[in-house]
Amino acid sequence: MTATQPLELLAPLSGVLLALDTVPDPVFSSRLIGDGLCIDPTSQTLCAPLAGVISNIQDSGHAVSVTDDNGVQVLMHIGLDTVNLAGQGFTRLVQEGQRVAVGQPLIEFDADYVALNARSLLTLVLVVSGEPFTVLANGLVEVGQPLMQVSPGEAIEATDEEEGDALFSKPLTLPNANGLHARPAAVFAQAAKGFNASIYLHKQTQSANAKSLVAIMALQTAHGDTLQVSAAGEDAEAAIKALVTLLVEGCGETVAAVAEAVEAVAAVSSATLLRGVCASPGSAFGQVVQVVEPELAITEQGAGEAAERAALQRGLLAATEALQALQAKAAGSAQAEIFRAHQELLEDPTLLEHAHDLLAEGKSAAFAWNSATVATAEQFKALGNTLLAERAADLADVGQRVLKLILGVQDSAWDLPERAILIAEQLTPSQTASLDTRKVLGFVTVGGGATSHVAILARALGLPAICGVSLQVLSLANGKQVLLDADKGELHLNPDLAEIERLEAARQQQTLRRQREVAQASLPATTRDGHHVEVTANVASLQEVEQSLTLGGEGVGLLRSEFLYLDRNRAPSPEEQAGTYTAIARALGAERNLVVRTLDVGGDKPLAYVPMEAETNPFLGLRGIRLCLERPELLREQFRAILASAGFARLHIMLPMVSLLSELHLARKILEEEAAALGLNELPKLGIMIEVPSAALMADVFAPHVDFFSIGTNDLTQYTLAMDRDHPRLASQADSFHPAVLRLIATTVKAAHAHGKWVGVCGALASEALAVPVLIGLGVDELSVSVPLIPTIKATVRELDLADCQIIARQILGLEEAAQVREALSQYHAATVESSSVLEH
Amino acid sequence: MFEKLQRAFWKALTPDLIAETVAAPVQNELSADVLSALGGEGNIKSQQHVALTRVRVQLQDVAELDAAALKAAGVPGVMVLGGGVVHLLTGLNSV
Repeated sequence: MTATQPLELLAPLSGVLLALDTVPDPVFSSRLIGDGLCIDPTSQTLCAPLAGVISNIQDSGHAVSVTDDNGVQVLMHIGLDTVNLAGQGFTRLVQEGQRVAVGQPLIEFDADYVALNARSLLTLVLVVSGEPFTVLANGLVEVGQPLMQVSPGEAIEATDEEEGDALFSKPLTLPNANGLHARPAAVFAQAAKGFNASIYLHKQTQSANAKSLVAIMALQTAHGDTLQVSAAGEDAEAAIKALVTLLVEGCGETVAAVAEAVEAVAAVSSATLLRGVCASPGSAFGQVVQVVEPELAITEQGAGEAAERAALQRGLLAATEALQALQAKAAGSAQAEIFRAHQELLEDPTLLEHAHDLLAEGKSAAFAWNSATVATAEQFKALGNTLLAERAADLADVGQRVLKLILGVQDSAWDLPERAILIAEQLTPSQTASLDTRKVLGFVTVGGGATSHVAILARALGLPAICGVSLQVLSLANGKQVLLDADKGELHLNPDLAEIERLEAARQQQTLRRQREVAQASLPATTRDGHHVEVTANVASLQEVEQSLTLGGEGVGLLRSEFLYLDRNRAPSPEEQAGTYTAIARALGAERNLVVRTLDVGGDKPLAYVPMEAETNPFLGLRGIRLCLERPELLREQFRAILASAGFARLHIMLPMVSLLSELHLARKILEEEAAALGLNELPKLGIMIEVPSAALMADVFAPHVDFFSIGTNDLTQYTLAMDRDHPRLASQADSFHPAVLRLIATTVKAAHAHGKWVGVCGALASEALAVPVLIGLGVDELSVSVPLIPTIKATVRELDLADCQIIARQILGLEEAAQVREALSQYHAATVESSSVLEH
Repeated sequence: MFEKLQRAFWKALTPDLIAETVAAPVQNELSADVLSALGGEGNIKSQQHVALTRVRVQLQDVAELDAAALKAAGVPGVMVLGGGVVHLLTGLNSV
């Protein structure tokens, strides 16, 4: 055993010293990477603070780490967000693996360039190997001056390695709420020292000498981490047994239910990563904040019927007022709609009846209300329909609101820390309404899907969110630093610096790109070789139509008429319908297309005022035009209402879910009759959705009888691949980029153009920038996209060449699977943008 | 490649990447003492808050800069670069 001298680190730069806590970048100030110092440099050559080997130097030259012979590793990171500079302004003077002397120049940088082009020059000097240090300077430092004194003693104490094969324990889950911080780590190290074997503690690929307190702390373990103990030497087996027991029991800390912790050992997953489904795209690096609802104490027996009845009444009244206030506050947003729906739930007669029956039996107001809402929510859930199951969540939420008012439980406004990533089993609208969204960076929930409130809210706020994450996420410690990559549906529990920087850079570029696209949204979507593509909007309300026009929308390519009256129990009156269509048509004006899709409902998309029998396979049942032809009065009435708007915009009517030519003929006959009855001498254009493979394959037969086609890629994909796009296991493969789907689009376009008809795409594929080249290349004339994406899709079109798109589209039709198509399009995308940036120089 | 283009736009849009510092008022950011240590207002061609902690000034004549006076005026660090460019390290709280 060799005693190691304290090691002096010399200042790698001249400059002003700052404490790490003050650095305005959570990645560093949280000490996720390691503890150390910050220098605001006044010199431009970064020198080695210690002698050693270059263990890592970033290609972009903004970061380097040096490891000495005793294992002390120091990372220097020049500037904040300098990874974005991609090497500009930095000159590397050393190579990875090279041995360097103390004070040797490692990186030169152009301070003025970096100051002008990056966020900051603040340079981090971090002891990433975890040894404790004392600071030897303050205020101004000169390069080469002693900066810190590192005490490597403990970290390399046990140099007397025992020979022999190491034994490994089974993986176990760390029960300590704050990981192995100083105290439990000290207990563990002390116990390990009692054995002669050389012992290591392993966390994924990292390992630490178990006899070293500092090394254990440097592992930065957290609650729920999966650890293993290994030992080599004669008493290895005894050591492992004793140390595993110690870890499971909490190393001297009281851990919640030891039995549970042991049980968890059995169900270990190598969890550095939790997966879910993307509910709202984006990424964020922040800290875990667990959202927990307090348990409410409800007494069953009431204090007299009259008193309890009054209590319920007061609760309902107060809840109604609160919901009205919330609506006013959130006016015009998706949330306002949700609270309006909640208010309606409070007036639901069956719910109230159920509660009053219980009151009459002498139950308390709280008990009666709770039983009524819970029972109704269960009924919703039992219907096995995702949309209704989401409404059960609404009912539970509104139920809770009234219950708290009856019980006099105050809703404490959450005191959120900065950079919160909220984690919950399920977030309710009431919870999210009181959020200080400036402090929230993202959402992670166990329940919910793409139509859940948290998804809607997150998209409205532009924050990343994932749903459907395993229950394990609920046991993450508050304050743990995590990286949420919603695009990939991943939550990284031990993110590394490179990954955080990559996502941060991507996020910033995204923001910038968005600003530019919105600024240029009114420019036409014309390719560089002069081919115009019509970019229109998918809308479900007048409000969305107006919004689309401000974002450069050139018309409406899909009005989802069933959404206009989604929350009605009764069909809207013909006058009301006509008024709505006319208002939308007027907003667009006579020069723009308005494509109204007739009611597209069915077993999978129920509409309250169109009751229908449950079907065993609603996706293959009475959906879309099939249902409308089954109830022709509904279709007639809708045609009449739509026809009232003729003349205000270029009116198009579109039939959903057409699979047989006879359906088109029948619907056209009804339309002609209604037009004649109204005395119209000019019929609106009539087209069909192409979303069933039979319609795509027979497009040449349909084409003479229609004015246009619009391809619904979501349904076309699930019917072509026979995969439910909401299926938890299949959803990722139900990819519209599959060559089979693209071939059907090609077939449709060819048939339409042969008869002089135009083709639009109104499915989700049109809203994907990556798909734009292939769709244009296949000859699609119109892209109808979700409103916020109009600027993006228009900007994408403007970057393309029609001739190139045609070539790439031909190639893609010959590929084998969706992944290859995506890969080819990504490469093409990269190449196009490169050539366009060359042109600009 | 695509990133390069983005970066070009980024640069064109804002010389400093942080929105709040772009919006920060440029005028009168330097105290009278600092101005005189830099050789007076007349010696300053331009000034700009950059990189969170710095004021970047361009001087007509760098020789007129008085480092000791700057320090006395509360500027802890000064970095003299080529072409009359000087960075005054004013710290994180100066904005």
